[in-house]
Amino acid sequence: MQGKAKSFTDALEENLIAAILGIMVLITFSNVIARYVFNTNILWALEMTVFLFAWLVLLGVSYCVKIGAHLGVDAITNIVSPRTRRFMGFISAISCLAFTFLMLKGSWDYWANFANLPGTEGRWFPLGFEDNFRGRGWFEVNDIPMIAPLRFMEDIFNEGEAYEKIPRLIPYAIMPISMALLLFRFIQASISLWRGDIEILFASHEAEAAVEEAAKKLEG
Amino acid sequence: MTVALLFVMIISLLLIGVPIAVGLGLSSILFLLLFSDSSLASVAQTLFSAFEGHFTLLAIPFFILASSFMSTGGVAERIIRFSIACVGHLRGGLAIAGVFACMMFAALSGSSPATVVAIGTIVIAAMTKAGYTKEFAAGVICNAGTLGILIPPSIVMVVYAAAVEVSVGRMFLAGVIPGLLAGLMLMTAIYVMARIKNMPKGEWAGWREIGRSFRDASWGLLLIVIIMVGIYGIPGVTGAIFTPTEAAAVASVYAFIVASFIYRDMGPLKTEDGQPNISLFKKPQALITAFFHKDTRDTLFSAGKLTITLMFIIANALILKHVLTEEQIPQQVANAMLGAGLGPIMFLIVVNVILLIGGQFMEPSGLLVIVAPLVFPIAIQLGIDPIHLGIIMVVNMEIGMITPPVGLNLFVTSGVAGMPMMKVVKAALPFLAVLFVFLIMVTYIPFLSTWLPNLMMGPELIIQ
Repeated sequence: MQGKAKSFTDALEENLIAAILGIMVLITFSNVIARYVFNTNILWALEMTVFLFAWLVLLGVSYCVKIGAHLGVDAITNIVSPRTRRFMGFISAISCLAFTFLMLKGSWDYWANFANLPGTEGRWFPLGFEDNFRGRGWFEVNDIPMIAPLRFMEDIFNEGEAYEKIPRLIPYAIMPISMALLLFRFIQASISLWRGDIEILFASHEAEAAVEEAAKKLEG
Repeated sequence: MTVALLFVMIISLLLIGVPIAVGLGLSSILFLLLFSDSSLASVAQTLFSAFEGHFTLLAIPFFILASSFMSTGGVAERIIRFSIACVGHLRGGLAIAGVFACMMFAALSGSSPATVVAIGTIVIAAMTKAGYTKEFAAGVICNAGTLGILIPPSIVMVVYAAAVEVSVGRMFLAGVIPGLLAGLMLMTAIYVMARIKNMPKGEWAGWREIGRSFRDASWGLLLIVIIMVGIYGIPGVTGAIFTPTEAAAVASVYAFIVASFIYRDMGPLKTEDGQPNISLFKKPQALITAFFHKDTRDTLFSAGKLTITLMFIIANALILKHVLTEEQIPQQVANAMLGAGLGPIMFLIVVNVILLIGGQFMEPSGLLVIVAPLVFPIAIQLGIDPIHLGIIMVVNMEIGMITPPVGLNLFVTSGVAGMPMMKVVKAALPFLAVLFVFLIMVTYIPFLSTWLPNLMMGPELIIQ
């Protein structure tokens, strides 16, 4: 991270992570204020926060691969020879790719029917799209009310019938999107591993960045 | 037998350097695809329901955020000043003050490494300057920092509550007495060592300094009151005001306000070192700009990043938990163990050993999600209080954080103090012994954990 200027997408992703977390806090806080000051309840607050939480984590997972912030155990990789370490690196890269690929298929299958799209056939690998499926585009969330800018979706996914709450396909869409992004980032990371730019795919502990900062403060 | 295969797969994946979350997720997926008829879509659904179905976990990002605002916002310095004013004049006073400061910071934050970073950065340097050895300073902070997960609020307790479905409020209350006790034990150990080795002591700065430093720190310490009164209410005056999750959100907003508008050590009102920070009245537009200031954004991002990495592990651990429940592993383990004539005392030893070994390799919250559901049914059968079990697990996690090879606090302390890892391990050993005694006490004296929650919230009802 040091020395390298942050690209536009880095800034975008970081701002998005910060913004989603900020909004989650503000919604929950407003709900408390609404309850005690205005004696009312923001009905959709909890559900909205939960979906934002899912979006925060799932979107952020791929960025954390990029900056190497995921956690892992480096006790063994630190003591083996560089050649063994490289070999172990490949296996772990393959594992990550396999995991994300399977998750991507699963996420698509899960989400597709909510968007009136076909899921994929096959248990391990997508073997073409299924022919018979029941579209579930009419499926709504519990509490979040429909808003006008999303009305166009009624024609596409609900045969023109009005949604009272937003359709479930919106919050769930993050699953295939995030897994596709994650696959992309893992492919990138695997390439850097192949080239020898990085040796492992993660940070060894959660406070690595904070510790670096603290050490800098002590020196300076 | 196939389940043994599952665990072997997880451990080998983790050891060759697969990120923890991926190791857990991939093993569970492969197991499901090979040995059951679940589809990949159902795995994806389980992943999403980690968020959709666990409202409790929502407290995690908020507590992380509150603690980030507290550490960047200059609360740590003020707490340390207050604790030095209180106990600095004793022999070994600065070390005792360090423990005291860790205890107070632990009551603001739910994480141990955060506590070590916030307090350790300042106290270790101050202690070496005052004539303590660096090893001693590192050992003290490394151990006292583990209180972060025992003294409420605590992220690990939120995870335990979510994993076995007990009340977060109860868990938090249960941590209070053990947390205070552990702090006192550490302080006593330090005092005895300081007496024997004749360690330096500070000047008694007078009641006036105590009053002043307390007033200065009180904005930060008020957060403890907000959280505790918010979750439990004031007996006889008001009932609970909000849920633990809401308390966490209110805490982050409050921490943001204290950090940017009252202490002004971050955000638009901060000035360069040495000069007094700008008053809000001189720059009222800060009320708006503070929300978009770079410091605010950076704090939000770093809290978000930690949330993401932790929650990705927890979500994948929940997939594994789903697999285990579906295969009825917890019942099988319970039957096997109870069939072997396992009594409560042996059972608790087994739990301790499993967690101490597991804690060497796994991130604490992920480990809890996996182990808690496995041992929970046995504990219920043996009549062990779930809250008590939770506290035992948390104390085990604490010890796991200061034992090599992957003791989180060891890494953090070695980074903060600029010392090699092995030296920190050695420095932490004498206090590790204290925590071990503490673990035995917590394990075999249940009322340490259960007395306060039962007093405040009535006895626990187990509905199975």
